[in-house]
Amino acid sequence: MLILTRKLGESIAIGDEIKITFLEMAGKQLRIGIEAPRHVPVHRAEVYQAIQEQNAQASASDIRIEDIWERIARG
Amino acid sequence: MDIDTTRFGRIRIKESELIEMKGHILGFERHKRFVLLTVDDNPPLMWLQSVDDSAIAFVVVNPRIVEPDYAPAIFDGDLGLLEIRRTEEIALLAIVTVRSAPIRATANLRAPILINAEKRWATQTVLDDPDYPIQYDILDGKVDFKRGWSAKGSLGGNRLERVHPSCAAG
Repeated sequence: MLILTRKLGESIAIGDEIKITFLEMAGKQLRIGIEAPRHVPVHRAEVYQAIQEQNAQASASDIRIEDIWERIARG
Repeated sequence: MDIDTTRFGRIRIKESELIEMKGHILGFERHKRFVLLTVDDNPPLMWLQSVDDSAIAFVVVNPRIVEPDYAPAIFDGDLGLLEIRRTEEIALLAIVTVRSAPIRATANLRAPILINAEKRWATQTVLDDPDYPIQYDILDGKVDFKRGWSAKGSLGGNRLERVHPSCAAG
């Protein structure tokens, strides 16, 4: 991992299309601004992590649809 | 072509029924070909079965059945990846997680599977909007499955009938 030290207001460029600016520090929280082209997805890493875990859980399900359906029909 | 599945045994599908992951389902990057299977009388819940791995299948549902107003803004890059140019080409499926004892089912409305229904290309897309939950309870009585049940075939504006295979596994 590349580790850099930056001051508030300073930026990091990733390639020529992505720029990350360090805006504000408040306690342990850091506000950053991200400029990226529309085709580049930007998400908090924990969102990806959560979706990946959810997918893994969903694929491991051993239930039959008929059982879920029965449960729905019962209301 | 015949494919082997853990849950349904060997089933016959047409190659034209395959759904190709141009992107991927997060965590399942190696799985590139799927087929959508209905069970018995075409309930709103379906299986998205991996063709490459007999054991991998996801329960999926049209998110419009779960949330009738579901009309998320979809990430440009994914629309481009699937060469989607018109909204009529879009089909969406939400992955359902089912837990037994007690039975609980949640739909992932934050990361639906986006399908170009014409080309049958797909990818899982992550929505920007945190208001769409990753675990949306579909068994708590809010969801009116009858709506989708009676409207089978058309399923709102989603044109999901285009991605149904003709075979019903059982």
